[in-house]
Amino acid sequence: MNIVGPDHLVFGVEDLEGSKQYLEDFGLTPVQIDATGWCFEALDGTGVIIRHRDDPKLPPALPTRNMLRQQVYGVADATVLDQIEAEMSRDRRVTRLADGGLEFEDDLGFSLRFQVTIRRALDMPAEKINAPGAPAQRGPNELGVTDDMPALPRTLSHVVLFVPDIDKAVDFFVGRLGFVITDILQGAGPFLRPGGNDDHHTNFFIRTPAYMQGCEHLAFHMGGPTELMVAGDRFTRKGYQTFWGPGRHRFGSNWFWYFNSPLGVHFEYDADMDKHDDSWVAREAPNGPEASQMFLLQWREKWAPMGGPEGK
Amino acid sequence: MSGRLRLCHRDDIAEGQARGFLPLPGARRKVIVVRRAGTLHAYMDACPHYAGGTPMAWREDAYLDGTGQHIACHAHGALFDIETGACLSGPCLGRKLTRVPLREEEDGGLSVPAQVAGRAGRED
Repeated sequence: MNIVGPDHLVFGVEDLEGSKQYLEDFGLTPVQIDATGWCFEALDGTGVIIRHRDDPKLPPALPTRNMLRQQVYGVADATVLDQIEAEMSRDRRVTRLADGGLEFEDDLGFSLRFQVTIRRALDMPAEKINAPGAPAQRGPNELGVTDDMPALPRTLSHVVLFVPDIDKAVDFFVGRLGFVITDILQGAGPFLRPGGNDDHHTNFFIRTPAYMQGCEHLAFHMGGPTELMVAGDRFTRKGYQTFWGPGRHRFGSNWFWYFNSPLGVHFEYDADMDKHDDSWVAREAPNGPEASQMFLLQWREKWAPMGGPEGK
Repeated sequence: MSGRLRLCHRDDIAEGQARGFLPLPGARRKVIVVRRAGTLHAYMDACPHYAGGTPMAWREDAYLDGTGQHIACHAHGALFDIETGACLSGPCLGRKLTRVPLREEEDGGLSVPAQVAGRAGRED
């Protein structure tokens, strides 16, 4: 099934103004979609839709206080929507929306929507590096860093869910929607990618008690490790709070930097994730500090070795 | 003041407001001071969801939920009672924030014991 990945994640928030400021400072572009809703877009049009939690336009809230209301997935074309509709109609109510999209609940009660993807094709260079022994990626006089260098989220990368029943979640996404498990962190859960996306993961499930069900974090791809560091540094200087990072994960190899948010989930900048095809054999490792990262760093104020031994 | 670290003046915390203070430069965790119904409460800025605790604000001093009625961890949305520090909903249900003894000095300064600067947060 040619599902491309998450187009949008929809949240019903308590602090609408704070959330709007947060998302814009994170590097997303606000687009007002109607009188009470805003989409904050990455460069390819994917992103986060927010409304006040009491807005009747939102899908119902989860039984927990988690603010996630819906996951919107993009598919390659309308024939994929027909396939999904046929599959899902076997055992649940599927709503065909005016725009051709589909809406239904998964087996754990998460609201899902599928649509022909709204992703705009990006045509931008990856971060370029120079290394001895390899052809230079940046030509003479081409600088690696500048004060005004852009560091904006390019596309919605993945969504991580707290799920009370991993088996149910996996059976649904793998068995019914054709997702593939790429790796498994034992004690936490599996990484998955859909048939139409070669990223290491667009989804990750974490096993939790039912009272935690919801979204744990979502991530946006950056143009490379330097862009990730620059974006995270700028965000930190605006007063935002790191949760974890910067660092580099093992599974997926992606660089990461997680921040707290007024949406009650983490927002992650990620960069340089592995790609996989169907020949890949999933690895397993026990979840913990060793398996979850190659290295972990911590932001600090700029400092330089200057002045004499007395520190003057 | 020996053995104590000054965080701020009592007038720096308005009614219904929370603020975070690093007790010493380089300390592992901030101390949250919150005023509710005239009374000041102080807790380690460390959500008890994970061992060691994790910082809870989403922006500097942004420790309360959208309604201003609870201390919130903006990592996973946990809510805490301002008076008792008990988790009311979220991942750390059954746990509490670590309360910090706050002393009001004669000049209105608010101070905490010096060992707070070395504290990680959740203490099992």
